[in-house]
Amino acid sequence: MAVRTIDVREKVMARNDEIAADVRRRLEDAGVVALNLVSSPGSGKTLLLERTLAALGEDLGIAVVAGDVQTQNDADRLARHTTRLVQAVVTNGACHLDARQVAEALDHIDLDATRLLIIENVGNLVCPASWDLGETAKVVVFSVTEGEDKPLKYPKMFRQSRYAVLNKVDLLRHVPFDTTTALANARSVNPDLQFFFTSALSGIGLDEWFDFLRGLVRAPLAV
Amino acid sequence: MHELSIAMEVCRMAEEKLGRDALPGLVEVGVDVGDDSGLEPASLQFCLEALLKEPPFTGARPIIMRQPGDVLRLSYLEVDDGCPDN
Repeated sequence: MAVRTIDVREKVMARNDEIAADVRRRLEDAGVVALNLVSSPGSGKTLLLERTLAALGEDLGIAVVAGDVQTQNDADRLARHTTRLVQAVVTNGACHLDARQVAEALDHIDLDATRLLIIENVGNLVCPASWDLGETAKVVVFSVTEGEDKPLKYPKMFRQSRYAVLNKVDLLRHVPFDTTTALANARSVNPDLQFFFTSALSGIGLDEWFDFLRGLVRAPLAV
Repeated sequence: MHELSIAMEVCRMAEEKLGRDALPGLVEVGVDVGDDSGLEPASLQFCLEALLKEPPFTGARPIIMRQPGDVLRLSYLEVDDGCPDN
């Protein structure tokens, strides 16, 4: 039999990356900053988003794409805080959002009326690190109930993120979490990581987070 | 779950490269997987084996080649074109 070998040598993610580049172009053309919010399940990113939408949703023209493996629970929670469209993506088992899903969600969002797009990714610190969604920056959210070694266990996610939110800091007096060690671990994998310290529940640190978002919309980052 | 998504994308790329009619002749699929790619090679192998058993594929062998770094690449496709050797 005649067996021939076809040399391919193409990135498996090439198709996703092409779509992500297109998403990035669309957002840049519309002057929209996009943050990809990533975390493990239960870090509090939906509540952080709820608070953000309630405080800044209208002022900053925030649109949301909320991804979940099953249910529209998060999207429903977020929609209570804004009249703006919250676009839900149910992945039906997939452990991450991909660029195609975000591109399709953008078709339903009025980008001319949007200045900040927040993508709430599926709760998972592994897989979403591999999928470029066309975002301006990733924001990794982790909480004081998760342990200081999360950045060491999931270095790719912390390396790819430009910002980190340490959430649930109101629980620091109740849990054996060493913030200094957590920061040192995070900076050992990404020295440039910029931190925010919040409790979305109690409101601690939210003013700094909101100021950061206001500044981001005023002076968008270079990707 | 992640590995299954990647395996499905590898199969889609094979179809794109060869055309659907040629897929039954696919005998081997080489994939470079970096140590920092975030993938479990054994799991990817398992997923590829499962997908490559199903039509239009006919049981092509997935060959996972470990590499340094975060590379994730379809390296090569080996095809039996059905013609006798010269």
